Amino acid sequence: MSESVELTIPVQSDLVVLARLTAVTVASRAGFDVEELENLRLAVDELCVSIVNGSSAGRLNLTFVSGDGSVEVDCALDGPTSPPADTDDIYGEHDLSVRILDALVDEHGEDMGDGRRRVWLRKRSIRHEGS
Amino acid sequence: MTPSARNPESVRETFMEYADNRDERLRNQLVEEHLGLAHQLARRFTNRGEPYEDLVQVASIGLVKSVERFDTERGVEFSTFATRTIIGELKRHFRDKGWAIRAPRRIQELYLALGPAMESLTQQLGRPPTVPEIAEMVGASEESVLEALEAGQRYRATSIDVPDRQDGTLSSRLGQVDPGYSATDDRLLLALSLADLPERERTIIELRFVEGLTQSEIAAQVGLSQMHVSRLLAASLAQLRQVFSQSS
Repeated sequence: MSESVELTIPVQSDLVVLARLTAVTVASRAGFDVEELENLRLAVDELCVSIVNGSSAGRLNLTFVSGDGSVEVDCALDGPTSPPADTDDIYGEHDLSVRILDALVDEHGEDMGDGRRRVWLRKRSIRHEGS
Repeated sequence: MTPSARNPESVRETFMEYADNRDERLRNQLVEEHLGLAHQLARRFTNRGEPYEDLVQVASIGLVKSVERFDTERGVEFSTFATRTIIGELKRHFRDKGWAIRAPRRIQELYLALGPAMESLTQQLGRPPTVPEIAEMVGASEESVLEALEAGQRYRATSIDVPDRQDGTLSSRLGQVDPGYSATDDRLLLALSLADLPERERTIIELRFVEGLTQSEIAAQVGLSQMHVSRLLAASLAQLRQVFSQSS
């Protein structure tokens, strides 16, 4: 069964809780265990941090899609943002976000589409792998 | 030398050398070179009620563990492996210590019931439980369980001396040892029983119950799937339980 939920929130740190709760609710319905939910919660936080990139204006449009034991979270920013700084520092902020998401989810990425910056992640529940 | 100043191949060579001789100076050098990563990750977990300095210490412990366990043969970059290990260490720190004081009382009480329920279900099922399974055990709705888990994740409280149902403070929940293993006879029996397990199973038990790693973290470390680790853990625990039931 596939489910899709959309959420739009202002860029405010205390509202990211709504994104986390929505993500874990969708993932729990898809059969994720508590450890996977904890990692997804951290990953959604990181996704929001990485797209906002210091900006405090605009709105985040989030889409949560579940199906076949996996959850995909897509996050686009309507508002001013700056692209990630191009740096050689392996511990720069953008690179750190990439490493954190590497550690928490199966796949993630980012692109610029329709003039909006978009980041996304996909996480599979290990219990559904191979099923 | 800053982390960015060393090329990955040179870092890899140092790790290979350290794997050969376990020279403490090399270990310290590798830790120092990657301290920046520990600081950055610690910073990601600030604003959750824990002093930054404490988080850096926790992250640094994760870094030292990463350096000691890193295997260059895995084909994974050290920083990727270390990020996973350090995040695991920080998560455990908050899981043991964190509590959202602002949560309504019913959620606080439910959250306190979740820990024992999750531990018990994990042992029973041989894997981390799902929210419906926890909800059924504690007699609450799935929505309440999700709400309580989220509240527990916010880590806003600055004091851990919040009244607990057990004996007054949440501090008492830190570092609890299963009372069943407290007697000396039991300890000896456990040590002997563990010695009978194959080395891989012993390592998995140690990583799970001494170092407190999750099944996924253990899986990454020993190079097995989480399901495989879960099965080995369940089988080993069953074997240990059998020895104990026979002795009693």
